[in-house]
Amino acid sequence: MGFTRISGKMIEAQVVPGQPLYSQRGAMLAYRGEVSFTPNLTGGQGGVMSALGRRARGEAAPLMTVEGRGSVYFGHGGHHVHVVDLAGSLLHVEADRLLAFEGSLRQGTVFLGSQGGVMGMVRGQATGQGLFTTTLEGHGSVAVLAHGGVLELPVTPRRAVHVDPQAYVAHRGDLRNRLSTALGWRDMVGRGSGEAFQLELSGQGTVYVQASEEKL
Amino acid sequence: MNGPVVFDAHTLPANDNVHAYAFSVDLDGQWFLQKGKMIAYFGDIRFDGIGHGPLDHLVARSFHSPLHAADWVVAQGRGKLLLADRAFDVNSFDLDQGNLTIRSGNLLAFEESLSLKQSIIPGFVTLIGTGKFVAASNGEVHFVEPPIRVDPQALVGWADCPSPCHHYDHGYLRGFLGGLRAMTGVGGASGEEHQFEFTGAGTVLLQSSETVMPEQPVGGTPAGGGTPGGGPGASGGLGGLGGLARWAERSG
Amino acid sequence: MAQFRLQDGKVLAVDLTGDAVRAKNGSMIAYEGDMTFKKLTGGGDGLRGMVTRRLTGEQLEVMEVKGHGTCYFADAAGDVSLVTLQQDTLHVEASNLLCTAGGLRTGTTFTGLRGASQGNGLFTTTVEGTGQAALTSQGPAIVLRVTPQTPLRVDPGAYLAHSGRLRQEFQSGVTFRTLLGDGSGEAFQIRFEGEGLVYVQPSERETLGGQV
Repeated sequence: MGFTRISGKMIEAQVVPGQPLYSQRGAMLAYRGEVSFTPNLTGGQGGVMSALGRRARGEAAPLMTVEGRGSVYFGHGGHHVHVVDLAGSLLHVEADRLLAFEGSLRQGTVFLGSQGGVMGMVRGQATGQGLFTTTLEGHGSVAVLAHGGVLELPVTPRRAVHVDPQAYVAHRGDLRNRLSTALGWRDMVGRGSGEAFQLELSGQGTVYVQASEEKL
Repeated sequence: MNGPVVFDAHTLPANDNVHAYAFSVDLDGQWFLQKGKMIAYFGDIRFDGIGHGPLDHLVARSFHSPLHAADWVVAQGRGKLLLADRAFDVNSFDLDQGNLTIRSGNLLAFEESLSLKQSIIPGFVTLIGTGKFVAASNGEVHFVEPPIRVDPQALVGWADCPSPCHHYDHGYLRGFLGGLRAMTGVGGASGEEHQFEFTGAGTVLLQSSETVMPEQPVGGTPAGGGTPGGGPGASGGLGGLGGLARWAERSG
Repeated sequence: MAQFRLQDGKVLAVDLTGDAVRAKNGSMIAYEGDMTFKKLTGGGDGLRGMVTRRLTGEQLEVMEVKGHGTCYFADAAGDVSLVTLQQDTLHVEASNLLCTAGGLRTGTTFTGLRGASQGNGLFTTTVEGTGQAALTSQGPAIVLRVTPQTPLRVDPGAYLAHSGRLRQEFQSGVTFRTLLGDGSGEAFQIRFEGEGLVYVQPSERETLGGQV
């Protein structure tokens, strides 16, 4: 099924009975057919865990269920939309960058602290987007939002990528993340601030970076 | 050299886009421009505010709502004129004995052969006649045919089809959160509970935006019985519809 | 020698092999390899004020990035244009200068008249020498050639940069006398005469005079 790219800022999704979609609330631009939009209290399929995560984030990314028969156009705030097709792999994405995803994907919430220890927690603070990151896994399409275009940078075991946490959008694959600081960086931005760190991604996968240091 | 293309006064496109975000007018006569949309020009062009002295007659001919004429200038002369609007996508449209209604904030410029009228939908204007106009949109304009329901914020305009009507999604409104929002207003309004519904034959223009461009005033309507939005009784009636009032607030 | 590439319209990729570039502070979005960053402050390091005043009058800070690998730069989703200089001088609004190769000299020129009337600050940045520079703009830049026969007028808010032998003159373009009597201010334009290139952006910064 997937999402059809209409422009850099708009996608079209086909909705058929029995295959719901999830999207950010308020992201529907137009639709035709018999389609219903139901705001989710728990946010997608994740159940208690994701509800918890959402609460911890202060309802940062409320979702709605889209079902019925028809087609729906999605976009948000004039931001760029980037579609990632997952074929069995795992995507981590900051919750408020999630525009829409297919119901065939399993949604979860990861407490990044469990992966990166204390540093993971700092990372959450650095990005200002909470300690929880949404994960999507399985087969299906995900549409993410970015300020400006999205740059896909491949990560290989021999080639780690360092990302400004403000510009980080998402990553997929088997990647480890940790906070690092390049030589001189901390003197430049000031030691106390969260911006003193960069996100180092290593392993095998792809990291998605936006052309801006501005959060959405 | 791997720099961008260099244009001069002769190689700039004639009445066509320079790129997705700028339009080059080959001026030989008059065009109407919204204030603040000219970025550069070659040639001998003069700009005047509309509605004074010798240009007063233009208001009568091209602007049928005198109150918003103050937001327009007329460009007269010969040359190449570049138009752009905050790096939004810019497109030109040709009307052939047609009419198109567009959100006033999206309209940048139009040829003198077209006339501009106030739409019955607040915040929109209608262009009538034969000629070219230039409009901005957040993201490329996407053309769709009715029947379709559109989030008011994503609507650029429509052509040839009847004016839209309001559609309320009662499922969304009645749902727990939707109901909460409908009662308290917490969480703001969103397109899922109220849309513009288009039916009939025609074309609807969509943009990808939930945050609309600033509205340009289109002028008031004469107070009088039977004029929507005009008389005191009429406005009271509109205020009774929660969604419409919210929409008006958002777009006003 | 640093290689500048456009990764897409909004991201500048610079391949470094042990050399250095100067970039707008905070514009690094990602890098591969080993990089060191150094804050440059006004006047130091022989940099005669690439550090200039921005629109708001605050200091524009510049960093030096040195290392081996690829560094990616972007600024607020702005569009990036590459300019190759060969013993030329590029005049550019400081806030639109994203990155310059190590071999280029940067300085400041006084543009009193325009600056004063525009309220944009009194200086523009000059970039001189041979090498690559990258500009950012809100919307992709348009490059316009000015010849003695075809002078160009530009809205001050859309002006990005110019190069060549150009004279610039500030002039009033429009008078608004409207029905309502308000909006009667004058709009200003910059007139470029001579031989050279002018870079404009398809959008306008807030200026006092750009009203057309």
